[in-house]
Amino acid sequence: MSDSEYILELKDITKIFPGVKALNRVQFQLKRGEIHALMGENGAGKSTFIKVITGVHAAEEGHMYLEGEEVHFKGPKDASKAGIAAVYQHPTTYPTLSVAENIFMGHEIIKNGMIQWKEMNRQADELLSKLHANFKSTDEMGALSVAQQQMTEIAKALSTNAKIVILDEPTASLTANESEELYRIVEKLRDDGVSVIFISHRFEDMYRLASRVTVFRDSQYIGTYDVDKITNADLIKAMVGREITDMFPKPDVKIGEEIFKIEGLSRTGFFKNVSLSVHAGEIVGMTGLVGAGRTEVMEAVCGITKPDEGKVFLNGKQLKIKKPSDAMKEGIILLPENRSTQGLILTWGLGRNVTLPIQKKLAKGFFNDIKKENELARDFLEEVDKGAVSIFDPASSLSGGNQQKVVVAKALAQDNMKVIILDEPTKGVDVGAKAEIYAIMGELAKKGYAIIMISSEMPEILGMSDTIYVMCNGRITGCLNREEASQEHILSLSMEHSDKKKEAAQ
Amino acid sequence: MEQKSLIKKITGSREALLFCILIALGVVVTILNPTFFSPTNIAQIFRNNAIIMIMAVGMFCVMLTAGIDISITSTLAFSGMSIGMLQKHDIVQSTLLMFLIAMGIGCIAGFLNGLIISKGKVAPIICTMGFMYIWRGMAYVVGNSSWASGEDVSQFAKFGKDGTAGPYIILIVVYGLFFVLMKWTKFGRKIYAVGSNAEAARVSGINVDNVLISAYTIMGLMAGLAGALSVSIYASAQPNMQYGKEMDVIAACVIGGVSMSGGRGTIVGTFLGALILAIVAKALPLVNVPSIAQNTVKGVIILVVVIVNVVSQRMIDKQNLERREM
Amino acid sequence: MAGKSGRSIKAEQEVSFKKLILSWEGALFILIILLNIFNASISPSYTVTNILREMPKYLAEILMMFPMAYILVLGDIDISVGSIVCLCATMTCFISNAGAPAIVTYIGCLAVGLICGMVNGAVATRFPELPSMIITLGTQIIYRGIAEISLGSGGSVSFNDTKKIMPLSKKIGPVPVVLFVVIIAAVIFTVVLAKCTFGRELYAIGSNKLSAFYAGVEVQKCRFIAYSLLGLMAGACGLFLTAYMYGANTTTGQGFEMEVIAMCVFGGIATTGGKGNLIGAIIAGAIIVLLRIALGQINLNSQLILVIIGAMLIIAVLIPGIQANLKARRKLKQAR
Repeated sequence: MSDSEYILELKDITKIFPGVKALNRVQFQLKRGEIHALMGENGAGKSTFIKVITGVHAAEEGHMYLEGEEVHFKGPKDASKAGIAAVYQHPTTYPTLSVAENIFMGHEIIKNGMIQWKEMNRQADELLSKLHANFKSTDEMGALSVAQQQMTEIAKALSTNAKIVILDEPTASLTANESEELYRIVEKLRDDGVSVIFISHRFEDMYRLASRVTVFRDSQYIGTYDVDKITNADLIKAMVGREITDMFPKPDVKIGEEIFKIEGLSRTGFFKNVSLSVHAGEIVGMTGLVGAGRTEVMEAVCGITKPDEGKVFLNGKQLKIKKPSDAMKEGIILLPENRSTQGLILTWGLGRNVTLPIQKKLAKGFFNDIKKENELARDFLEEVDKGAVSIFDPASSLSGGNQQKVVVAKALAQDNMKVIILDEPTKGVDVGAKAEIYAIMGELAKKGYAIIMISSEMPEILGMSDTIYVMCNGRITGCLNREEASQEHILSLSMEHSDKKKEAAQ
Repeated sequence: MEQKSLIKKITGSREALLFCILIALGVVVTILNPTFFSPTNIAQIFRNNAIIMIMAVGMFCVMLTAGIDISITSTLAFSGMSIGMLQKHDIVQSTLLMFLIAMGIGCIAGFLNGLIISKGKVAPIICTMGFMYIWRGMAYVVGNSSWASGEDVSQFAKFGKDGTAGPYIILIVVYGLFFVLMKWTKFGRKIYAVGSNAEAARVSGINVDNVLISAYTIMGLMAGLAGALSVSIYASAQPNMQYGKEMDVIAACVIGGVSMSGGRGTIVGTFLGALILAIVAKALPLVNVPSIAQNTVKGVIILVVVIVNVVSQRMIDKQNLERREM
Repeated sequence: MAGKSGRSIKAEQEVSFKKLILSWEGALFILIILLNIFNASISPSYTVTNILREMPKYLAEILMMFPMAYILVLGDIDISVGSIVCLCATMTCFISNAGAPAIVTYIGCLAVGLICGMVNGAVATRFPELPSMIITLGTQIIYRGIAEISLGSGGSVSFNDTKKIMPLSKKIGPVPVVLFVVIIAAVIFTVVLAKCTFGRELYAIGSNKLSAFYAGVEVQKCRFIAYSLLGLMAGACGLFLTAYMYGANTTTGQGFEMEVIAMCVFGGIATTGGKGNLIGAIIAGAIIVLLRIALGQINLNSQLILVIIGAMLIIAVLIPGIQANLKARRKLKQAR
């Protein structure tokens, strides 16, 4: 053991991918027993950096010191032997295998060449009970929730007796309660002497946990700061490279007549008796914990799934929506939550993506009108996107934020649009692009569309919405207007139901 | 905590369910025709299906990695023809050596599949389709438009002759070995891991390419072994032997609960799946269904099994949803 | 021209000759020219008249290649077509032998194919959770099984009255009827895939099923249509086969599914969906047919052709990977 102040130190790390420098001479220092936040916009190189530390990628240049001694990892195995464990952004689990097997993958308990299942299950259960997990070692991984899977990943890190644990955006898909649980676990790790690197987009996470923060931007190292000594604005400036003055450009729009109404919509197991109404020019925010049924309500409205009962009205007329194209014909447009799997076809050019929903409308008989399609796609992309060069660029070449803008263009291209539903429009989008998306929403409201925004992020719900519906456990538990809404109020509404149930149980 | 009922346990475990079906099938057929349940009949079932059953073990490994191999019967034909010709021209006569040669050829064929699929990033069905043509063609080429008759392979055929223990011993050894290998060793679990989530396996330091290559090599080895066994049991080597039977092997795995998307399935299930198909084939003539209808029944069984699986999964999902309180 | 941002996004596609040649279809086109030169040099009887005479026995299969390309573009696969051909051929003979007029025989055959395809489609769309490989594995065994049952213990059937089926194996001038049908089908299927909204929907589904569904594409309807079309064309294939074989047996059409899929893949259509086009597949089909004719003419062991086709297929699917690898290496060098 050396007496070096830093348990892990990286210097002048450069990583090159075909065509891009993903990391350009970055540095990083991790103190013993600290929680260190690593922040930066999407594409700043954080995830690549983590993969260099864990030996998944080999850096082209630079040095890495573990406890003061230089190390060279040839693969993930070396890193895990050296006591480094990582919990990645998307849980990298084996869905068809048991929890115990997930925990011990790569370091199974073996006697005489045979895997000792009983011993492994016992030790796994021990680890899980330490984390207050509510599932067993023999459960199948794929049947668990994302939060439970993450907990398994942490148990895996513990099972290797890791000295350094890296968490890559662990809270991205967790509810507030689950995040709180995670914070508790991370703090416990720190108290046990483990050093933690924590990557997150949420400032909340950083303030709650970290003592120091390192910022990357454009594949470069910007600086390391003490969390209690840096202001929020300075931090954003370090991350974005410029100041953002007006994050939520909510325009003052006169709210018109009621356009869209849902009455008593129910779907077994997902939501029950949901009613809401949206007026012209109004932005309705829908919030609540992840899994409260917000997305499911809107998917049922748009014909993605079938509701069991309930009515949907547009301009006072009751609609019969059986499939997504029915909703589109009526002018109800959904921007789905997951851009890469639901919103876009990543291998296609931007233009094709924008015109896919309207290709039949533009067609001459059975034939595609390519010229008209291309012109239309160009016009709408120019309206929303400042980054695109050609409508033939594949969607996969864009960053998350720019992809979201293409999804917006795809919605705008449907000229009969009356109601626009945005599901987590800024999820995984960096700060700069967020502001642009809010600006577009403001523009749409001015034009008199009815807008529904589903979001888990409190600031944007409070900043953008005229009316806020809060959902909890499949029901709408409250409807607040802009003036009366506050963070505490929304939080209490979004957990109200579950608390009541707990009381009843006790 | 909720108590698990016996019914739930049975429906929860694919193997238990298959075993029940198997028993029911056996009972029904025995009632309809008591001659079915005789030692000779049972022995016949295993002997006639030893080739499918052995290849099912390899297919199980390949399907675990979310792959498929349709070149196996061509590999079987090539390895079988090769040893058949060696005997016909009196170059080699040792039974053990025959098996080793056939298995060696199978290994090479499987290794090539694995190499191209893992390093060349070629879809398994396409790569193995290419080799399906190549090895089948090679089987004709080595035979040079001739085949090995019972006389040519008489010495070798003694091993697999009706009434000898050879084929059964091979079956028991193969299944015993792979039961242990797949469940209790690191190597077996690596195959599961790669099929369950190849990306995760790569990140956690498993050499995915090597695992794929080993899975296909095992498949090739089994196909080679089946080739030798086939020559021995049927006392002849023909270039078109077992043509189209790769689908039976896949069907056995599918019925046995091996998922085509990888990572799910057991060696016991594979065995039971192959056995069910074998019993149905044997039982049909005994219960007065003409053997000509065998294929139709087999196809219907495959569809019914996979559809029942989907429908029951949907019902479970629905029940879970209804149980959610709101 | 410029939008609000005061800057314009490019919306005109450049057509470059170099790109065209370097594309997969371009490479195949060059290959087919080289192949013809090669064929002509090894076989003295490699003449247009001879090719047209020997072509028909290989052409019927090509009819199934077009809709199979649709199925592959969707990301599905159908391995039951060989059995559909067998069942259709069998039924054609039975219908004809029962005394039906020629036109009823033809329509009956096509109808059997269509129904088989629709059954595949119905199961595949009703149970989208199931891999199409498993479904068509089941129906593959069933369809041939039904043919086996109807053929009985003899295992084969032939026409009582071959006159009814004769028009199909006739020639118009030097050109066989089947070639005309193939050309018409090729034009229709290629144009629909490349230029029509339905084709675009097929690509959308094959590239990302969920995104296509969210964008309003009726995924299951499109899949059903593609399976039905494939069944119909398998029926057409069966019809022409009986016309040349004067009958059917239990092994009719065996292995066709793999040959047809091989042609598509050789033509640059990926089994993972969303990639490739019919022009490539048509050239690939032509290459395989011409190669077979030439090698048949020089009396090469017919089974050696299998080895050559298999090797060609594997080399063809390895090339894109190698290309990408080289490209990545070059880029890596540039970045350094």
